[in-house]
Amino acid sequence: MTDKNYADDYNLAELMCIAAARALRDGENIFLGLGLPCIAGTVAKMLYLPNAQIFTEVGVFDWVPRDPELMGRAPLHIADMPLYVGSAMLGDMLDQLGSMLMGGHVDTAFLGGAQIDKFGNINTICLGDYHHPTRRLGGVGGNTEAACLAKKVIAILPHEKRRFVERVDFLTSPGYIDGPGGRRRHGLKPQGPNVLISTLGVLRYDTQDGEDGTCEMVLDATFPNVSIDTVKEMTGWDLKISPEVKEVEPPTLEEVILLRNLDPLTFHLAEGRY
Amino acid sequence: MPKSKLMTAKEAIGKFVTDGDIVYTGYNLIPHALCHEIIRQKKKNLTVAGASVPEMDALLYITGCANRAITGYIGGVVGGTLVGELMDKGELQFEDYSNQGLTMMFLAGALGIPFIPTRAFLGTDFLTEKCINHPGGWLRDKKYQPSECPFSGEKVVLLPALNPDVSIMAAQRADEEGNVQAWGALGDAKWALWASKKNIVSVEEIVPTEVIRSDPNRTILPSFKVNAVVHEPFGAHPWPVTGYYDMDFIFREVTLDIYKNREACDSFLDEWVFGVKNRSEYIEHYVEKFGYRALRNITAQPPIQPVGTISYAYVPHIQI
Repeated sequence: MTDKNYADDYNLAELMCIAAARALRDGENIFLGLGLPCIAGTVAKMLYLPNAQIFTEVGVFDWVPRDPELMGRAPLHIADMPLYVGSAMLGDMLDQLGSMLMGGHVDTAFLGGAQIDKFGNINTICLGDYHHPTRRLGGVGGNTEAACLAKKVIAILPHEKRRFVERVDFLTSPGYIDGPGGRRRHGLKPQGPNVLISTLGVLRYDTQDGEDGTCEMVLDATFPNVSIDTVKEMTGWDLKISPEVKEVEPPTLEEVILLRNLDPLTFHLAEGRY
Repeated sequence: MPKSKLMTAKEAIGKFVTDGDIVYTGYNLIPHALCHEIIRQKKKNLTVAGASVPEMDALLYITGCANRAITGYIGGVVGGTLVGELMDKGELQFEDYSNQGLTMMFLAGALGIPFIPTRAFLGTDFLTEKCINHPGGWLRDKKYQPSECPFSGEKVVLLPALNPDVSIMAAQRADEEGNVQAWGALGDAKWALWASKKNIVSVEEIVPTEVIRSDPNRTILPSFKVNAVVHEPFGAHPWPVTGYYDMDFIFREVTLDIYKNREACDSFLDEWVFGVKNRSEYIEHYVEKFGYRALRNITAQPPIQPVGTISYAYVPHIQI
């Protein structure tokens, strides 16, 4: 720990990206969603997870990123063309969302969302009432089936009171639904341990797989200079705090340099993005 | 000699797209040239369908060509856009599914079966009254059906088959007969095209049929399923075609307002859709406005080609 060369200069998007990348595990089949997951997955594969396999729902199987110099950019989205170079197989959405995901081969789905609730249910479709939303978004894409069918979910969301709500306005993507046993009662397989990277820190759930514990979200670690009170204030219910709450380890110089080489035009990691 | 299916976008859209049709409009390989032709011909009451319909389709709703969408993602909707406004006013009806949902519905359509089970949507609000009977929709109880496997009793969700009346799609190349080759990840395209009653494909290159037949594994649709082949270089611009050109980020940046602001949209349509007769005039106009250099900057280079030889060899004269 002490001999690591931490970066002095990094922004929030970069910090979130590295926290997310570190939450992935080697050897897993990882399914990348839109946005920050695309670059976090790229960095993780390049720096720490040589044996992880990267997939995207459009039909990309086991993508190996090239040197940033040659590649030019990390994928901007799940169908960006750098993903077509160095993959083991290119297929289509039926291969991915069917054989791969519903067939039970995705270990970790890496997802975004508009809202999340205390049981980790995600909403990606609208804020407010579905019939008369205050903000309507495009829709779920593959988020719904990934949350239904992956063995684990890592979510990334901005930590704001209107987004961290006791119950999502529309449940597009199931977490633990209504608590222990919720997934099983609805015909879904167990899932977990799930992780959430917010703009304030890293959160986990009081359960291994949705059967034990309370299944409620728990603050596990805060980002540097973020207080526990701030996190509680920005959460729309009485958030549980881990008794051993930690501070997230900052990004290293090596990580930040790689991120900037992978996103030279700051499509993903612009200052003020989150 | 099989009949050539080569025609202009004007002929193909005029002949095969009818008011009221359900239209698949591509996923990764996005047929902007064909879409603009639909707008020029002022088609009406179309329903767009696809896993995630491209943001290009926003132009179809804004111009009144399409008034319904069946999809997992309505491109061009990020709070406060013209598309959001149309949805609020009920002028764009929509049925929300997911990418897997639409892919499975096309698969059922392609297989000629009436419905298909999935484990997606279990435990979500999609299966609740508020989604099934929402004011923007029209499918009601024909949308999803929560059910059980008749053999194991497991919970599943049944989805109806979806057969588009016509698909428009961009691809890398085809022969004149209509054998289409495309590469890169294909999204839901293959199943949508198989499910579709008619198919129109715009391609970057027309190649001799011998070229297609020398590498048949790259073909995504055989000619009998294709009604029209349109030769439109840069037919997907400003979106990319793998191996030919990349996303035109600068063009997208300067035209970003078209989905947000009615005036910007009208002036875009006047300039880039109604102001040109076809894609080659569009590209001429592009070069006039931004310079040849801008076009060269999006050209995919240097080439990235498979290493090693692909052979389809066998023993033609077996010695017994």
